[in-house]
Amino acid sequence: MSLFSLFFLILGLAAIGWITARMRAMRMRPAAPAPRPHSLPGYHGWYVALWLAIPALAFLVLWSILMPGLVEQWVLASPAAQALPAADIQRTAILSEAHALADGSLSAAFNEEARALVPAFQEANSFYGTIGIVATLLLAFAGGGFAFLRVRPDFRARNRVEKLVMWVLLLASLIAILTTVGIVASLLFETIVFFDRISITEFLFGTHWNPQSATAGGDEGSFGAIPLFWGTILIGAIIAMIVAIPLGLMSAVYLTQYARPRVRSIMKPVLEILAGVPTVVYGYFAALTVAPAVRDFAVNILGVSSASSESAIAAGVVMGVMIIPFVSSMADDSLAAVPGAMRDGSLAMGATSSETIKRVLIPAALPGIVGGVLLAVSRAIGETMIVVMAAGLAANLTANPFESVTTVTVQIVQLLTGDQEFNSSKTLAAFALGLVLFIVTLLLNIIALSVVKRFREAYE
Amino acid sequence: MNAAQFPAREPTDWTTDAMQRRIRARYRAEKRFRIYGLFAVLLSAGFLAFLLITMLSSGARGFTQTEIALPVDFAASDIFLEPAQLEGGDRDQLLAGADFQGLAEQTAIDAYGEDGTMLISNGAWLRLREAVADDPELLRREERIWVQASTEVDFAARGADGLHMTDERRAMIDRYAQLEADGNVRRGLSWTFLSSADSSDPTLVGIWGAFKGSLLTMIVTIALAFPVGVLAAVYLEEYAPKNRWTDLIEVSINNLAAVPSIIFGLLGLAVFINTFHLPRSAAIVGGLTLALMTMPVIVIAGRNAIKTVPPSIRDAALGVGASPVQVLTHHVLPLSLPGILTGTIIGMSRALGETAPLLLIGMRAFVPSPPSGFTDAATVLPVQIFLWSDELDPGFVEKTSAAIIVLLVFLLAMNGIAIWLRNKYEQRW
Repeated sequence: MSLFSLFFLILGLAAIGWITARMRAMRMRPAAPAPRPHSLPGYHGWYVALWLAIPALAFLVLWSILMPGLVEQWVLASPAAQALPAADIQRTAILSEAHALADGSLSAAFNEEARALVPAFQEANSFYGTIGIVATLLLAFAGGGFAFLRVRPDFRARNRVEKLVMWVLLLASLIAILTTVGIVASLLFETIVFFDRISITEFLFGTHWNPQSATAGGDEGSFGAIPLFWGTILIGAIIAMIVAIPLGLMSAVYLTQYARPRVRSIMKPVLEILAGVPTVVYGYFAALTVAPAVRDFAVNILGVSSASSESAIAAGVVMGVMIIPFVSSMADDSLAAVPGAMRDGSLAMGATSSETIKRVLIPAALPGIVGGVLLAVSRAIGETMIVVMAAGLAANLTANPFESVTTVTVQIVQLLTGDQEFNSSKTLAAFALGLVLFIVTLLLNIIALSVVKRFREAYE
Repeated sequence: MNAAQFPAREPTDWTTDAMQRRIRARYRAEKRFRIYGLFAVLLSAGFLAFLLITMLSSGARGFTQTEIALPVDFAASDIFLEPAQLEGGDRDQLLAGADFQGLAEQTAIDAYGEDGTMLISNGAWLRLREAVADDPELLRREERIWVQASTEVDFAARGADGLHMTDERRAMIDRYAQLEADGNVRRGLSWTFLSSADSSDPTLVGIWGAFKGSLLTMIVTIALAFPVGVLAAVYLEEYAPKNRWTDLIEVSINNLAAVPSIIFGLLGLAVFINTFHLPRSAAIVGGLTLALMTMPVIVIAGRNAIKTVPPSIRDAALGVGASPVQVLTHHVLPLSLPGILTGTIIGMSRALGETAPLLLIGMRAFVPSPPSGFTDAATVLPVQIFLWSDELDPGFVEKTSAAIIVLLVFLLAMNGIAIWLRNKYEQRW
């Protein structure tokens, strides 16, 4: 019996425990005016089912983690293992091959030694497997029996079950913290190893980025990330925002102040679709349609002969289009938060709608709009697929939007999708870039949220 | 009473030319501003329309394929198999050993001249093998079998609206017209595209492998993110005491929702693959990574949904003796479920379109057969689109767009369900 089917067996037993305990509790219903049982029958059922399943399943998980190690010890102690080569790499290779042979995922042996180990593997597997099954079932019956004996009218099953529910709820919300800690720890850990090899000042202030030329020894001088930071800012914070801010802001103004309700109820969801289109689709669109058009435009009409088919402007414009709904919905919320009295006062003084919007509403909503723009910038610099597909790989330090630049996210993808070992400087550099990206977006978000919060409070 | 402080002033004479000009200028400015606004809305919507039309028009062809007829004479071929042999259990081995590729190429040369092999797809012989596997009696006779045509024929079939015309292509168009006149080619819906997985030949690629990979990944994601997200939302909204710990939980959830997706890819790579040694490019790792990414979205949506349940309902339930957990399971959760589900679907549709984190955990591997389990090497729809967009063969352009259409339809269906749920169950208190 595999551990997997044992899992379902335990669940089945728990279901049986639930039913029997519930039936037993039902029979406790007093015939006479004796005191009523404390908990409803269902709670007794849950109490038994949980006592039956949780210890057994916990043991099962623990055992399935421990078992491979125990099996390997058994096999290494067997007489057939004495013939194994001493070298560690060969040894593990043969062991894993024997393992595959033993569970049938491999049909023919490559090494003679591996075949010799198969019986030992099967023996160990069946031995430890039986121990695991017997112990799990024992735990299940012990837990279930213990709980079943406690099913009595005055037993407070509900309180016990609800206490467990509370713990489960708390654990679920702790996963968020765990994820944050996991992100920070994994990024920091790799980054510290990276900064042992490359100095932090060179990484942050160096102007030469060429990790492909970095070798095992001479890493210095290839990991200056300034061109990456500049490319990210050029595409995400400058070009994309030049597109997104006017279009997003004006759309929000039109839809909240001018459009009839019917138009608004159609156009607002339409704009929101722009945010729902997967970024890979934007990337494909940018690379296939926008980038060639931009290059032809630059070469033929503007006469920029250095225009690249992976220009910063193509990626930036498409990213700006993607960002429009973010800016627009943040501006929408901020304009709506401005008290109606301010608008009415301005209109009553004889100002036209556009004068009211420009001189009263937008200045009053400005903190909210700025916060929204900061959120949009943080979104844009973390965006990956559009730039991977439409921007280039060359780390140029240029202000010419028709040339090719590269970004932090492009380089992370580029550094991690080759087939190299995990501890090379290149993969570590990707984690260092990730850490920079994480910190910058975090700061932008914190600033933006506090600006927006203070703005909201000002009008409450 | 303050009249003394302000000198008496003539009322403004609105009828003077100067004033009228100013008013006209102001009204013109008003009109201009309004037009700018309309222009911004229309431009944004126009981008969307342009994007969708571009994808639809080039993707529609990806679902079709050109087939070419091969009059295969199995009896006279080099395949010395008897129908009776194929009844036994070693059928697959016998078929795999037979040279159907040579037969397909030879037939193409016999039927369409020296360059006949150029007309059929590299994988055309697979059709012959399938045909024989379905009906071993074919081995005794000659049969016209439709096989996939090559990319060149496929391009020729669409006529002269290709972007770049070369002499070879013009010749192929003439040739196609000839083939069509003889009834040797046909175009139709491509079952290959709907039923197979990745390939290096654009005439043989299919979307099913990536679709199934997406499905498996989403199952893992929803199985993890939904329960954890809902439970966390319930805890934070209903039971959490106000203290530093719960503040920390709240802050980290709000921040996680704004962390760039690629960071989650780095986390998945460092934790799931390099620490726990889960299999690379498997649906389970992708699902885990996306679950971490989706969970904060579900928590935030769930909290908003729970907030809308009026406190009077809780008070009433508590008043008749329900325990806090009973209040939750009998009243608060059922009432807020539509809102939670809407938020979940929106989070899931974001996860479905996500590419970058999956690239980092190795789901960009070439996967030539659909995954059969959570630990098999798999790819997902967006990553498949990315991989095909990188291919040099021009035949992949329309396949990429077709895959995009599949992805968008999938997303549209999910969002449609979310909107329907919201409209059907939305309650105003």
